[in-house]
Amino acid sequence: MGNALFIVWRETIEAMLVIGILHGWLSARPDARAGFPWLWGGIAAGLGLALFLAVTIMDIQSWVSANALEWFQAVMPLVACGLIFQMVWWMRRHGAGLKKELEAGMESAADRANWLGIAVLAAVAVGREGAETVVFLYGAVKGSANADIALGSATGFLLALAAYWLLSRGSRFVSWRAFFRVTEVMLLLLGGALLVDGAEKLVGLEALPPLADPLWNTAFLLDDSTRAGGLVAAFTGYRAAPSGMAYALLAVYWALALGVLLKLKPMRRKA
Amino acid sequence: MTLRFSAFVGLVSAALAAAVFLLAPAQAGAAELPAYTVVAKNGRLIPNILNVPAGVRFKIVVRNEGRDAIEFESLQLRKEKVLAPGAESFVVIAPLKPGEYDFFDEFHPDTGRSRIVVK
Repeated sequence: MGNALFIVWRETIEAMLVIGILHGWLSARPDARAGFPWLWGGIAAGLGLALFLAVTIMDIQSWVSANALEWFQAVMPLVACGLIFQMVWWMRRHGAGLKKELEAGMESAADRANWLGIAVLAAVAVGREGAETVVFLYGAVKGSANADIALGSATGFLLALAAYWLLSRGSRFVSWRAFFRVTEVMLLLLGGALLVDGAEKLVGLEALPPLADPLWNTAFLLDDSTRAGGLVAAFTGYRAAPSGMAYALLAVYWALALGVLLKLKPMRRKA
Repeated sequence: MTLRFSAFVGLVSAALAAAVFLLAPAQAGAAELPAYTVVAKNGRLIPNILNVPAGVRFKIVVRNEGRDAIEFESLQLRKEKVLAPGAESFVVIAPLKPGEYDFFDEFHPDTGRSRIVVK
């Protein structure tokens, strides 16, 4: 049961975090209602994507080659990383300004593009890891279906759901400022992890040069093939033996995040 | 500024998505690569050591003969692949330097571990 619990928790927590933060952000500003249909639509699309990918994985020879699937799985996290960066950017710029703009009916093309961004981000967050959950559960049901695995999976899912609930309601428990600070950092960390994931996969596909391989090896400190190491890797981009390419990109990412993004001030409103 | 940034992200996403379909056939020659087979069964990966020469591109054929799903994973080898029960697929591994590279079955992390030794 412990293993099923961990797997389902681990595979669903990322989507729950992203969606929980987006939901919390939207609901804390009554004026941002317009974003909800996009969020729900994105989740629905993500479930569709997860099912499509799961079917593809299980029936690999027929319609999508294994190679195309690997490419897709390398590119998806990079798209998600870009969208997370953009989302944090947008949240910062609209710290206070969104309400007035919407009231004045001045929803700009940029905002509409951001609603679409929310939808795509939700879809990718659900679809990416959701597919693996579907295959895992399918295997559990088809193979050694037993009460243990069912119970473990359900508990894992509920634990991830609890994280979602905490985040989506979070801004009611703590100040808006604290909620925003914490979730912003979580999103940026996750964005970095997605960047490393995508970059490492592209290096593995020999589409990107590794530059230095490995850059260093810190497996003696934290081995990323252990459960704890894997978790740190999934949420921060940690690698025991990263390629130079992945970490060069990560360095650029954090330089942009710390040097540009976190210094952005909310857009000034016209008086 | 925001609009331009959105457009930029959109453009990059589109370019990456297009790249998937344009570049995907680049590894079409996988059939001629030296192949090593790993069988997953009852939560184990067999064999538990693969000896591979250094500097050679090769593929690992992974066959899931177990009764539930597996996930072949190695951050070191930069691969992860989920296989339903009864499924078979392969991963192409870029040329490696001498050393040891761990891989494991993420759905059976306690028992399903194996290693590539590159000489």
